[in-house]
Formats: sequence, C-alpha cells, structure tokens
Amino acid sequence: MKASATNLNQTPLAEYIVERCKKGDVRAFRELYDAYSAAMYNICLRMTNNVSDAEDTLQEAFIQVHRSIHKLEKESSISAWIKRIVVNHCLNTLRKKKVYFEDVEDVEIKAEEGIDEAQFTWTVAAVKSAIHTLPQGYRTVLNLYLFEEYSHREIAEMLGITESTVKTQYMRAKEKVRQIVKQQNVTR
Amino acid sequence: MPDNFESFIRQHREEFEEKGPSPRVWDALEQELTVGRKGKVVSLLQKNWFKAAVIVVLMANAAALFYFTRHREHQQQELAVIAPDIQEAGVYYTTRINEKLQQINAYPDAALGLDSTARKELALRNDTYKALERELKNNPGNERIRAAMVRYYQLKLDLLDKILEELQQKHVAPGNTKKHYEAEI
Repeated sequence: MKASATNLNQTPLAEYIVERCKKGDVRAFRELYDAYSAAMYNICLRMTNNVSDAEDTLQEAFIQVHRSIHKLEKESSISAWIKRIVVNHCLNTLRKKKVYFEDVEDVEIKAEEGIDEAQFTWTVAAVKSAIHTLPQGYRTVLNLYLFEEYSHREIAEMLGITESTVKTQYMRAKEKVRQIVKQQNVTR
Repeated sequence: MPDNFESFIRQHREEFEEKGPSPRVWDALEQELTVGRKGKVVSLLQKNWFKAAVIVVLMANAAALFYFTRHREHQQQELAVIAPDIQEAGVYYTTRINEKLQQINAYPDAALGLDSTARKELALRNDTYKALERELKNNPGNERIRAAMVRYYQLKLDLLDKILEELQQKHVAPGNTKKHYEAEI
C-alpha cells in the first residue's frame, strides 16, 4: 500500500483522480483512499498507539481531505498534503486525551553508561515494543522525526514548543528506547 | 550523523509498516460522505429556505410573464370574448393574501432574513401583478390573461402559506410570545 501511495504522488493519474475528487466523484475518492489509507493508517497507529483511535482518527482525517480537496493546488504533493492533515488530526486526538506538549529545560542528555549497542541486537519487534512503551510526549516527537521525517523546526511548530525542546525530547526518547531494548536483550 | 538506532530504523523502515485499516473505516467514511452530502443539501435548504421561496416566486412571476407575452399576439385577436368575472376572484384572493402578508410582516426582519427587494417581491402588487392587471384592463375578456392572473394569485397564496408554516415551526408566532412565556412560568 505504501508503494502505491508513492507511485501515485504527482503522476498524471493522481492529478486525474484529484480532479475527479474535486468534482465530488465518490469512486475517485475511494481510489485516493485506497492509495493512501495504509500509509496514513500507520501514521495514526504510531501516533495514537492504539487501533481504535487510529481508525477513528484516519476516518476523521479523510473526511477533512474530502472537504478540503478543492483547496489542493496542482503543483502540491498530494501525499504531503494528506499526511499533514492526518498528522494534525492525530495531534487533535492526543489533545482530546489531555496530552500536552510543553517546553522543557535545555539539558544535555548523556547516554547511559554501560549501553554498548554492539553488545545487543536491534530487532524490529524490539524497537516497536520499546517505542510503544514510551511516554506519549517522547513517542510523538520520535515518530514525527524518525518515521514521518519532519524536521525539528516543523515539529516545534506543530506542537507549539521550541525547537530545542523538540531536540531534547527526541534525545531522551532515543535514550529510553536504547535502555528498553537493552533490557529486553538482558532478559532474553 | 545517524547513530545505530537511527540507521537501524532507516534500513528497516518498511518492516515497521503494519497492514492497512480494517474495511469498517471506509464503510463508515462512505456513509459519512453520503450523509454529509445529503445533510449539506438539507441544511442549505433549511438555511436558505426563504431565499428559495423567493426564487420560486420570481420563477412563478417569470413564468406568468412568459406565458403572457408569448400569447400576446393571440390575445389581441381574442379581445372580444365574454366579460370577465375576475374581479370577484380578485377580491377573494386579495383579501386572503393580505391576511397572510400581515401575519408574515408581524415577524421581525431577523426572523425573515429578507432584504428589501425580496420583501417587495412578496408584496401583492409587485411588478408581475401590475403588468397582468394592466393587460387585464386593456383586454378584459381574454381567458389567458384571466387564467394567468388567477394562477398568480394561487401561487402567491400557496407560497405565503408555506412561508408562514416554516415561520411557525421555527419561531414562536409573534402574537403568542407573551402567552408562551406565561405558560412556561
């Protein structure tokens, strides 16, 4: 699904589909949904951390896509546009759950002594599990930076905090993941 | 410079992807889109019902004028027909229309949501009426003009009834406001 989303972006087919969507063609909207829903659902899942919230958020985001598609300009990247709507909806879902993002003191994060990454194995399952257990603030920043590939500055704007707070949160999040994965290696 | 953790994520990025959402998301979405569309139309109608009503009047007027002018030549050839009893019908409809207009005019402007042009169009003696009346005087026996005049009265009466019905559903009748509050107390 992710591949189809990438292929569709800024192609004549994509333009055609978007034009039909703008004219209210529900079948064309289904095509757009099919192309992007899997990738966007993964964003929702990472951000909200549970299937039910992820699906609800995805649905709300696509309703917004449907309502706003007439605003999408021809030169714009469809995937980036949809992704931004989805991410905004994810952040709204978090805010409804009373997750707030606040500035923190800019302190230097030191790697925990004794964590030698060469001594343990990184696995996808272990990293996923570690990210899943992160505090919401850390997880949000880490996901937006590492998986959604937004810059620190963009994340700061989205969350309404300073760039330095974003960097600090990200460093702490990474360190926490390392500790959890290390722990998993030890107990294995 | 990416550390081991970041490098690992980037190398295995695809493996972090889960399969897509369940079909229930699209089902709910499709339903929402369809309902949204119907809702939009309904809410637009509700919001602009008065404007829609005025458009109906204007269309009725235009239709009456079109009907009238189209048959103008024909009418002139039929001038010598029987004397009309349109006066009687006119008195009947005029009385009823004026009653309805009085009731409607008792509502505040905000409740009506009409500008002066639209209000003028609702009045009994609007431009269409005057044109028909003039032609009727000049061609008193013409059946088509008489029919157009009666149709005009009927359409206007129907429309005013509908407007009053809507106003009564949406707002407390102006005369009953006090009674309504008293009943509540």
